[in-house]
Amino acid sequence: MTRREAVNRRRGVLLVAPTVLALGTLTVYPGVWVLWLSLQHRIPIFGVSRFAGLDNYAFLAIDSRFASAAATTIIFTVTSVALEVVLGVAAALAIHAQRGGRRVALSLLLLAWAMPAVVTAKLFEWLYHPTAGLLNVALGGHALNWLGDPHLALPAVILADVWRTMPFVAVLCYARLLAIPPELYEAAQVDGAGRLATLVLITLPMLARILLVAILFRTLDALRAFDLMFVLTGGGPAGTTETITVYAYRALFQTLQLGFGSALGVVVFVLVMAVAWAYLRLLRTSAVTA
Amino acid sequence: MSRRRRVVAAVLLVGALVACAERPPSGEVTLVFKHARILGPADPIPRLLREFEAAHPGVRVRSEALPWTSDEQHQFYVVNLEGRRPGFDVLMLDVIWVPEFARAGWLNDLSDRVGDAERAAFFPSAMTAAAWDGRVWALPWNMNVGLLYYRADLLAKHGLRPPETYEELVDQVRRIRLAERDPALDGYLWQGKQYEGLVVNVLEAFWANGTRLLGEDGTILPEPARAADALRFLRGLIEANVSPAWTTAADEELTRRAFGDGHAIFLRNWPYAMELFEAPGSAVRGKVAFTSLPGRARGAAGAGSTGGAHLAVSRRSRHPALAVALARHLTSQPAQRAIALGAALSPTRRDLYHDPELVRAHPGMPRLDGLMLMGRPRPVTPAYLLVSSTVQPEFSAALVGVKSPERAIADARARLGYFLEAIR
Repeated sequence: MTRREAVNRRRGVLLVAPTVLALGTLTVYPGVWVLWLSLQHRIPIFGVSRFAGLDNYAFLAIDSRFASAAATTIIFTVTSVALEVVLGVAAALAIHAQRGGRRVALSLLLLAWAMPAVVTAKLFEWLYHPTAGLLNVALGGHALNWLGDPHLALPAVILADVWRTMPFVAVLCYARLLAIPPELYEAAQVDGAGRLATLVLITLPMLARILLVAILFRTLDALRAFDLMFVLTGGGPAGTTETITVYAYRALFQTLQLGFGSALGVVVFVLVMAVAWAYLRLLRTSAVTA
Repeated sequence: MSRRRRVVAAVLLVGALVACAERPPSGEVTLVFKHARILGPADPIPRLLREFEAAHPGVRVRSEALPWTSDEQHQFYVVNLEGRRPGFDVLMLDVIWVPEFARAGWLNDLSDRVGDAERAAFFPSAMTAAAWDGRVWALPWNMNVGLLYYRADLLAKHGLRPPETYEELVDQVRRIRLAERDPALDGYLWQGKQYEGLVVNVLEAFWANGTRLLGEDGTILPEPARAADALRFLRGLIEANVSPAWTTAADEELTRRAFGDGHAIFLRNWPYAMELFEAPGSAVRGKVAFTSLPGRARGAAGAGSTGGAHLAVSRRSRHPALAVALARHLTSQPAQRAIALGAALSPTRRDLYHDPELVRAHPGMPRLDGLMLMGRPRPVTPAYLLVSSTVQPEFSAALVGVKSPERAIADARARLGYFLEAIR
């Protein structure tokens, strides 16, 4: 290493230091603290504070409410992200193919995305109203018990989530579509490619990377889903819409069981990290092959 | 102590909520009264506070509003009371929080300041909820009780008297619907959504069936078979279509509106609904009456669950004597009369239910007296929120039929066993 390189390296460390320090205090410290809390029985307002070892985790392993929350979280994430991607791509293609009114279409789409989740939840609460809801009226007066039926409640929440976040995927894809050089399509046309072939062989592959980013964001969000179900169903009926985050909220904020609640928080954290890591690997390999 | 504080602060992720108590000008004392916003035709609180100031020269009272939802209010208190100086002296509490806050050491013990005669003036259920560990921690401020509303016009038309048991109620629903032939007319509406209201409804079903959620000695669901039977009965109401399928998603307002639109014969709800049913333009104006919740044919008489708000004094108040005086003033007979007139909140003092001025404004009050008197509090325990939030999904599971009532009760007991063990 030359002297110049050594100086550069030292300067680099110096420049990175504030970021590392900030991240350290803002994420690593609380993270370690939560991990430590999860190994305790800790209910500060009652003066309970004692080491519990892995008790909280052992209880989670046999807790049917946790098993149900974990299943709900995963079903919610997979289904809503899949629907959002399919509908988002479709919406982007539709807007792209439109001649006029693109701006209006985009604005309308963004309206749903811009609305606070709690407002969306209230909106859907009225749509799902058992006797006066628009949805039941539209279904010809079938009194479907949207939020009170254990088989319908989760799909109802997923529908609301898809409506709210599909525009995010659509807008990202639309931006990418605008950047695809028209020569590609012209060449395909010359080669005699039909509409389907163009879509499958050109458009979708060009969208792949941006979709991966969109899916990453949406998956991480969905794994921590909280607000829609909290307002719409409170996690019910029978806990069928309770995600791990809602369960953690109940433990941490409502009943102040900091130890047990932290254990739930750690599980969400591990889940999110694992998914993020897998996606990032996928992104890197796709970057290499692309 | 500082360690505890740090934990709460760190984990609740609530940063700068340190209330800076303002320094009063020399000789002047400022009391802070923290309470939920009062809805109603006219907020009587400002006038009551000015009265107190007039009677206590040199004292200023500032009233501060709590957040809207009960969850947020609870969080606000927990974060601020765990701190060194909470920045308020008198605080409004939901009845179910009193034992929790008392055990946490946040409240002033009022036992020596509230004599027997004074305690006797309040409804016993409200006083029970204000006490914990043999001491009194709060003064009852306003109150609620579960009631059975019924369509007096429909019952009279079919020659029926208000039901005393649920079995009678079910029978009346069948008869009236058979004769009315109105497919849009539901039978009995109550609250079955997975939330606090469900616990209240299930508690009432437990009591009618002669059992309880928490035994005298603190055991959870001491009679599992009776409790399961009560859940099965509630589930049966839905299965037999006496109550609509959407009961499992119903809260107070959803059921109140459906009944208020004339779509049901019976409704379980709180006293506030009567005012709305009698409002001009209401579809059921002049057609509704209320009575006590039914009992069970081979069980106990019916009793409504009570709720409401209490006033307590923070243990860290710098002016405890004045703060207690303020809490007393606000819960006094004249103050509660003013609140009942201006804000339509039901008083906690029995004699007000026969007060001529109040009875003129709310003709149902004398009738409400007996029902408040029979009312029972939810389990008075510091762990109430824990108990409630743990049993909610289990009760809901039994109602929607994804678990047998026995299984739901067993699961609730097992989970609570683990959590309560940690508190001991």
